[in-house]
Amino acid sequence: MIRASRLYKTLSRSRMLRALGKYIIVCTLGVVVAACGEPEPVISGSEPSIRRLTEQQYRNIIWDVFGSHVVISGRFDPILRQDGLVAVGASQATISASSFDKYEKLARIIAEQVVSEDNRSLYMPCRPHEVGRPDDACAQAFFEPVGRMLFRRPLTDSELDDSLTLARKAGEQLGDFYDGLALGLTSLLVNPNFLFVIDGVEQASSADTDAELTGYAKASRLSFFLWNTSPDESLLAAAEAGDLETKAGLKAQVDRMMQSRKLRDGVAALFTDMLHFEEFDHLEKDNLIYPALDPEAIEDAREQLVLTIQNHLLDENADYRDLFKTRKTFINGRLGRIYRTSVAEPELWTPYEFPERTGRAGIQAFTGFVALFSHPGRSSPTILGKGVRELLMCQRVPDPPGDIDFTLFNEPGSQQMTARERLAIHNSVASCAGCHRLTDEIGLSLENFDGAGQFRASDQGQVIDASGNLDGIAYEDQTGLAEALSQNPAIPSCLVQQTMAYGLGRSLSGSEKNWFDYLLTEFAEGEYKFKPLLQSIVTSANFFAIKSIPDDGEQSVQAHINPRSDKRSES
Amino acid sequence: MNAAHRKYRLRKTLIGASASMLAVGTLNGTVQAAEENKLGFVIESWYTAVYDTEYMEECPEGIVIGNDEIWLDGLSPEELEVQTGGGTLEVLDEPRRPNQYLRGPNGEDVCWHPESVIDPPMRTVHGKYSYGMNLDGNADGAATPKTCEHGNFVTPDGSIKGVDNQLYRLMGCVHGYRTEGYLEHHANRERQDESKGVILIDVKNVDDPRSDDEVEVSFHLSATRLDFDISGQIVPYGSYKTMPNRYGDTVKGQIAGGVLTTDPSDVTLPIYGNDGVTDMVFRDFRIEIEIAEDGTRAKGLWAGYHPVSSFWDHIQKVQHNAPVGQYSCPAMYVAAHELADGYPDPETGQCTALSSAFSFEAVAGFIIEDDGAGDMKRLAASNAEELE
Repeated sequence: MIRASRLYKTLSRSRMLRALGKYIIVCTLGVVVAACGEPEPVISGSEPSIRRLTEQQYRNIIWDVFGSHVVISGRFDPILRQDGLVAVGASQATISASSFDKYEKLARIIAEQVVSEDNRSLYMPCRPHEVGRPDDACAQAFFEPVGRMLFRRPLTDSELDDSLTLARKAGEQLGDFYDGLALGLTSLLVNPNFLFVIDGVEQASSADTDAELTGYAKASRLSFFLWNTSPDESLLAAAEAGDLETKAGLKAQVDRMMQSRKLRDGVAALFTDMLHFEEFDHLEKDNLIYPALDPEAIEDAREQLVLTIQNHLLDENADYRDLFKTRKTFINGRLGRIYRTSVAEPELWTPYEFPERTGRAGIQAFTGFVALFSHPGRSSPTILGKGVRELLMCQRVPDPPGDIDFTLFNEPGSQQMTARERLAIHNSVASCAGCHRLTDEIGLSLENFDGAGQFRASDQGQVIDASGNLDGIAYEDQTGLAEALSQNPAIPSCLVQQTMAYGLGRSLSGSEKNWFDYLLTEFAEGEYKFKPLLQSIVTSANFFAIKSIPDDGEQSVQAHINPRSDKRSES
Repeated sequence: MNAAHRKYRLRKTLIGASASMLAVGTLNGTVQAAEENKLGFVIESWYTAVYDTEYMEECPEGIVIGNDEIWLDGLSPEELEVQTGGGTLEVLDEPRRPNQYLRGPNGEDVCWHPESVIDPPMRTVHGKYSYGMNLDGNADGAATPKTCEHGNFVTPDGSIKGVDNQLYRLMGCVHGYRTEGYLEHHANRERQDESKGVILIDVKNVDDPRSDDEVEVSFHLSATRLDFDISGQIVPYGSYKTMPNRYGDTVKGQIAGGVLTTDPSDVTLPIYGNDGVTDMVFRDFRIEIEIAEDGTRAKGLWAGYHPVSSFWDHIQKVQHNAPVGQYSCPAMYVAAHELADGYPDPETGQCTALSSAFSFEAVAGFIIEDDGAGDMKRLAASNAEELE
């Protein structure tokens, strides 16, 4: 059984008082003027968590360790979204018996590729004395660095010994050093210490608290948040040296990570999670109705959203709220067909700005977003409006009541009605009107874009009326909606909430409201720039804060993995 | 492509996207604006304009005698025994086909050396109707300074008299060029499948896409892959780059009631298909295209005098079409010169070009004239990606 760390005592109230005392002293003496705004609230943290790697994290790690030419075929069991985020659901995710088989099979395929004759020279720091016989020294030279990268910490002596023993015995039986090595690597790739991100906890070194994350656990938390992959060698070295325990050391690593191109992957992963982009994997459109939005174009539509977000938030360091009224994006040939514009380099992504006359502004009006929240063959103002409310504004729209009489809406002739006319019928029913009022105004303002996100001036022969009202702000058309959205306080609030939850891997608790308020205020004062928000989160002690669990409450990853493997180990 | 592969591809394309950003800069730089005052079309398919009827009234002599028949007739009984496997090889297949054009007196390829043998005269069209245009401006077929005396046609709907289409007269009874034939369907399929030889029509200075008395029309060879929807049609509004430094002839035109026409001018178009790659040269070339109300599709004709030399350049390069399409190169060569009705040789008075018409269908697209600079961007992007 593999245990997570045993924890100590609950964070004491004195810790917060000590922090406040320091703040008062520093500000009174005027030592650090710049830091003397509102003090950052101290949170008690959460219990240490065990999170299953997402499929993309698994892939990223393998590609980081072994190179992107390693083919990773197959799918894993999906992680159920919790409170809007897969990152939160990952802490509840288990590995079923059938899923474990998939991991095992995948691990074997990866290991075979790594030790194959074509690739071994890339990864092996040594050559065995004889290929037909085990060579512990050479195997150790392979397992130590690879295991460190996979487990996000050095292998323990027993873990290393297990790998060496397995490789040795298998190598002897199979008469091939590399076959033995592959089996040893396979065992690492199905080890829960690889498949789960486990918060390691140790006795606190500071008097401010009683227990804290290990340096390696901090490194993992940083890395999965900012890069969506495991820590690199530099970050692991910093963890090993204790650099992450000091503000200067932590800042140096954060600064480095924020400069890395991997930050793009991290931001893409955050917004992919927050905006449910994994649903593009299953998005299908009626190609007779929307021939331009074929499967390749759907992939491009997702990528356009990601590229736009990355460019807006990272390259331009622009106001997050302007993402909902930006006309700047990237385009390629396939998307040019949908947006009906020429693309000078159809095979490349090219910077592009929607002309004002197109009325297209904000990512909510991009073909990817509109298509994701539409029916296969037609638009859906309700689904689209619900998407905006729930994903961009973090506002829960209740599911429809179970006793709705749909004959009202499916009467003969309804297919010839405009969307606005059809939805007017919904709004005439009291039990429907409450929710439709929340969603439909938004969706109807985007009706100039059909179910594939293509512009259209009319619906059922009638000029589309895109006027609406968002939380008291009336507007005339889609660009008005874009402006209203960008000014809506729920937009930045939702981002801060979801970014915090994503980074921490758990839903925020009521006790963390003060930190949330603090970050939101800081976000506003910083003109809603996203990178400073990320920096504020990861350089805060709150990001790594944990609280103890009862002494008898040992956490075990065993609860998360295949019961069948448990039996195997017993046998 | 499975979902996992798509994921992998997404990662690769994201990297590629980063690379492309390195190559072209971020959005702070210049941004591309949507094109205005332009129309563009990519030709989806084109055919020699052949008016054929079910009972072949236009071909009273019957279908053209094919190369295969002539070749068989020329074989001695002994050769016939060998070449037909004792009479068992009835279909046009190996090993009969490769030998058929090599029937000159010294084994010459008769499509490359059409004067090396004399075949029975080619059966040609004698009907009244044809698609096409009145190229010489008269309705009686009388000779003019630019034409020789020739027969004229009337369009099937009777709307145009004096239609000049001697290429139809020449090819209209060739099985391979008729509706039930194979050659041009196959050539279109090749152009579509391989995205080669695809013709682009670029219309500039368009103030009103339904009515404009002066526009500029250019004809290009596309350098971009075609994309089709599930019904097999090209997806509208793709972006198509022109092949740099090739083709690009420009003519004056006008749009009236959604119909684009051009003034006569000399134009060269690419031709690709049935494994043949060459140019189609036209004198007094012009087009007439009816653009759909929504602008997504168009169909029409191009017409002009097609020099026999240009026509024959193509025919001899696709000599393998002769047995499939069922015609004789030597007979066609003779008939082509006899039927030529345009551009008389100043010395001999013999006309050198065939009046012709071709029907085509096109799909709206964006035409991007490539000056070759894009190659550097692509190279930079590729290099940047490798550095990732």
